[in-house]
Amino acid sequence: MRSPLRGRATRALAACALAVSSILPAMGPTATAAPPVVLKVGTTQDLDAINPYNTALVVGYEVYQLTYNLLVDFGDNAEPVPGFADKWERSADGHSVKFHIRTGMKWSDGQPADAQDACFSWGMNVDAVKAGTSIGLGYIDPNVKDAGVTKVECPDAETMIVTTDDQSDRVLQVYVPILPKHIWSKETYKTMGDAKFNASLVGTGPYTLAEWKTGQYARFVRNPNYWGTKGFEDEVVIQFFKTPDTMVQALKAGEIDYARDPNADQLKQLQTEQGIKTVVGAANGWTQLAFNTYGTGTGKTIAGGGASTKALQDQAFRDALGYAVDKKTLVDKILGGFGDVGTTNVPPVLTQWHVEPTKPRTFDIAKAKSLLDAAGYPLDGSGNRLDKEGKPINLRLYMPNSNADYPKAAAFIKDWYGQLGIKVSTQVMDSGALTDLLLPPEGGKTGKAKYDIELWGWAGSPDPNALLQIFRCDAIGGTSDSLYCNKDFDSLYDQQLKATSADARKPLLAQMQNLIYDQAPYDILYYDANLVAYRTDKFAGWRNQPPNGTPLFTYGTLGYTLLTDATAAPSAAPSASGTTASPVAGGGSAAPVASATPVDSGSTSSSSPNVGVVALIAIAIIVVIGIAMYASRRRTRVVEDE
Amino acid sequence: MGSRYLGRKLGQAVLTIFAIVILNFLLFRMMPGSPERVLLRNPNLSQQQLEAVKARWGLDKPLIPDQLVAYVGSTLTGDLGYSLKFQGKPVVDVISDSLWPTVLLIGLGELVAIVVGLTVGAYAGWRRGSAVDRVGTGASLILYSMPYFVIGMPLIIVFAAGLHWFPTSGMTSVGTSGEGFVGQLVDLGRHLVLPLTTVALGLIGSYSIIMRSAILETRSEDYMTTARAKGITDGRMLRSHAFPNALLPMVTIIAINLGYVVAGAITAEVVFNWPGLGSLTVDALGARDYPILQGVFLLLSVAVVVANLVADLVYGLLDPRVRS
Repeated sequence: MRSPLRGRATRALAACALAVSSILPAMGPTATAAPPVVLKVGTTQDLDAINPYNTALVVGYEVYQLTYNLLVDFGDNAEPVPGFADKWERSADGHSVKFHIRTGMKWSDGQPADAQDACFSWGMNVDAVKAGTSIGLGYIDPNVKDAGVTKVECPDAETMIVTTDDQSDRVLQVYVPILPKHIWSKETYKTMGDAKFNASLVGTGPYTLAEWKTGQYARFVRNPNYWGTKGFEDEVVIQFFKTPDTMVQALKAGEIDYARDPNADQLKQLQTEQGIKTVVGAANGWTQLAFNTYGTGTGKTIAGGGASTKALQDQAFRDALGYAVDKKTLVDKILGGFGDVGTTNVPPVLTQWHVEPTKPRTFDIAKAKSLLDAAGYPLDGSGNRLDKEGKPINLRLYMPNSNADYPKAAAFIKDWYGQLGIKVSTQVMDSGALTDLLLPPEGGKTGKAKYDIELWGWAGSPDPNALLQIFRCDAIGGTSDSLYCNKDFDSLYDQQLKATSADARKPLLAQMQNLIYDQAPYDILYYDANLVAYRTDKFAGWRNQPPNGTPLFTYGTLGYTLLTDATAAPSAAPSASGTTASPVAGGGSAAPVASATPVDSGSTSSSSPNVGVVALIAIAIIVVIGIAMYASRRRTRVVEDE
Repeated sequence: MGSRYLGRKLGQAVLTIFAIVILNFLLFRMMPGSPERVLLRNPNLSQQQLEAVKARWGLDKPLIPDQLVAYVGSTLTGDLGYSLKFQGKPVVDVISDSLWPTVLLIGLGELVAIVVGLTVGAYAGWRRGSAVDRVGTGASLILYSMPYFVIGMPLIIVFAAGLHWFPTSGMTSVGTSGEGFVGQLVDLGRHLVLPLTTVALGLIGSYSIIMRSAILETRSEDYMTTARAKGITDGRMLRSHAFPNALLPMVTIIAINLGYVVAGAITAEVVFNWPGLGSLTVDALGARDYPILQGVFLLLSVAVVVANLVADLVYGLLDPRVRS
């Protein structure tokens, strides 16, 4: 009685399996071409958008720069080098630059690329600036505004003339991707932010985006029409990791070739691995203590909000606190030595502009104490430091949960300030909640700015303006997190904006750096380094850009075009994987010839999701059959029992 | 099972889901922080530009009624809107990209855990005090108390980075396009082994422990004594009498757990870089991506409500007493 039913179910299962298996091979392409050489890059940032106007992340910049050219690219030292334009000259009065667009350049889809594309892309940003608004998330148009661009015109296919109201070189550092007009011509500055970018994209960059799997990877294929040096890799894959632990394991296992931002401990461990090279690149950014100085320079107060003590508005108080922080210890203990002691608000990586403060503060608790005494902040009987209202000073220090180093740094600060008699209570919160808390009334009706110290960080652009701007009075309610306002600083900022040469600008920037350092609305703790590790068994020709930077995720996409075959004859790249500074070697120019890779347009992307879905369906079928078999067995048994 | 019983249950389910739709909207907006302020970390951004972004995202209109009405209206028509974090991607696309990897990993993990957990639990309960019981229950307790990353990371270090048997992470090898369907399936399978093992190990504990105590309870029932008196073999008693009856309380637990399958397993997803719904939810929370959050929570609540509905109905089928 039992066997027939069971037998039937088994036969049904077998038939099903047979049917499924006979369908399966027919569904996928079975081409067997030589596998492409793939460069796999790991990062812990998750790509947010492939529309360049909608990304807020470094990885988003990397993605759009691989696909699209900037008008002017970045060289070995982040200096301006030919990009979409191959040469340029400034007019005699210094207020316009004439760019020559490459002759005979083509988009990856074969359409001609010329000045009209450049004018279209820049013009949209100029329009947005004129209209007093921004495109998308507003990361790109400020470049055009900051360079003082007032007009762009393209008299012919090879010429673009940019008129500026300042004479700086910022016009050569503008991060505006040149988009193909023949694809996006319908978009304006009003609509570009909502434009739907779908892989595969058409660009003039070295690689074009072929596929984007949210939360997994972005895959690029070689642009057959690229005008510049061609890298060894046929494809680039940027993989998004949710934790650096897994990324590091993937690097060790050889599943990825490059890992961006492992933490200090992991980097130290990787330093001893065979076939892996680590880089500690100077970063364009810092981690700071921002003091809530709301009211400084304006005299304003916030009902039911603001800092817990007026002492924070006092320069002498903030200055004294500066002596109580041992930044060397922070760099050693928290960053594992991978970073530099913080000083001014222009990071040292911007060598052209950074100056060391003229009146540096050194770690000296006794001096901090005496400065506080002298400034009118005495200790009471039980060792508490009192403010001028006679109230014990208790500072609230808040930080975001985005960086595991922040709470560690906060613990040190708490201890050092404690030695001065100043109590510090620390709290970690998610960045959304923290930005809300930091917001003053200028930033919205609910803004109360109820904090004393914020521990967070900033990352800058090739030009120092971005990092200087956050100290302007009009940044209060926007990006300012010290809520500091100083008319002298603002006027210096405007002056440097109009400086006609780098030589004229430098002393102004030096003044501004010293002003903020002396006034101390910020205590910049350290410039955290960019940590990178890469494998040397597959690719050679890794080069840091600038020399104290990292190979990838820098300025432009130079690093991708310099890679060579590590397994090829040693002539390809002499010791390129070794020491960092070998600018002359230039292994990149020996571009391997294997470049005739056809750009396949996402036939793979349409087939790959099917695999999982079909697998899922197959599993579901098997499960259902399994349950049916079980049920039928039970029924048989019941019949038997009865 | 009468149609009235069915109708009442269905009506309750629909009402619950509607209440959740409204609650989802209010809940996330009551959190401090808002999506556009996340952009405040752009040092180039001015106040004016921030307002422009806000207007683009429709966050400049009053919360109630404008935003609420727009949200309920579009949700009812199946339009979940666009993600704020993944600029310009429809919510449905973003969620469905993460949904099937989650169902594949956690769903399979649950199945394996249910089969293994129930078996281990049943034998442990049946042979209380035996070696099987001591080892099984001990292991269950240990696994039960271990977070996924504690189970997963050693597996990666040994079997992926060390022995190179399996890939460390991800769901597919990127660029396996040329290998054909079978090749891709094998690739998916290789990627699935370690995360599936982790999830299954993590889940076995709860099933086996509960199953063990359920079996212990049934052992003392009168009908077991009767069965024994009838001279039925030991194994037969377990399979035909103790196991089915102990299964009854398990149905509810299994149904609820299956409902939560779509919630994903955040730590397992993070460790194995598995593109699932759990980590999508966490990322969306950090970015205050309201549309994604609403979508995920809607999906989750529908799944839980449906799973409970199914549990009610299955219970009715398994236990005649419930029907009457």
